[in-house]
Amino acid sequence: MSSELTVRTEKLEKGAAVFVSGEIDIYTSQQFKEKLYNIVDNSSDDLTIDCSGLNYMDSMGLGIFVGALKKMKTADRNIHIINMKDNIKKLFVITGLDKLFIIH
Amino acid sequence: MEMYDKIVLQLPYKAEYVSVARLTTSGVAYRMGFDIDTVEDIKVAVSEVCNRLINVSGNCPGAYEIRYEIGESSMVITFVSDIDSAGCIFKDDEEGLGMEIINAFMDDVEYCPENKDFILSMTKRIEEKS
Repeated sequence: MSSELTVRTEKLEKGAAVFVSGEIDIYTSQQFKEKLYNIVDNSSDDLTIDCSGLNYMDSMGLGIFVGALKKMKTADRNIHIINMKDNIKKLFVITGLDKLFIIH
Repeated sequence: MEMYDKIVLQLPYKAEYVSVARLTTSGVAYRMGFDIDTVEDIKVAVSEVCNRLINVSGNCPGAYEIRYEIGESSMVITFVSDIDSAGCIFKDDEEGLGMEIINAFMDDVEYCPENKDFILSMTKRIEEKS
């Protein structure tokens, strides 16, 4: 019954791709935060987050995206978000966060 | 006066049960005739309140209630908590992402109520098809 989340990473020629599947809510957010921050800390180029498998997210997930972007920006790096479902993209738009991330 | 059905869900202040609130919300909203996008919006709004309640509860052992009042053209979702400190759960976070999302997704939101038996109440109306 609890939410499930998987985070998988692939190294790219330049940077890394992160594939997020499942749900990011209050139950899975700590797991997501630890994994994403670890990836951010251990990569040196831009990061691409593929959200094609992400079915649900709320402000808990948004906060972690923002935290990761802050870390990236200190080294002048960016986060690219791809394949977001409409219900999740809507969260970025209504909170104005779509202007901070590079959303494809 | 509009007739309505009432459904009450009682959940412990534990993160692992917020998905139960989302599932229940989906079921109720679909049954009322909300479209898929609106159901998703209501689910997120409910989750945001649950998240906040769990955060302010400090892992207390009690439970909170989500009451769904289902009318012909609107759904009122009311949150009731048994902890004293939960009186105004968004008091320190009125500008936060959670409150911003709730206000964007619901038609009416009443939070920080005075002298009422609930801590937050929000309403979503079914849009009439033209």
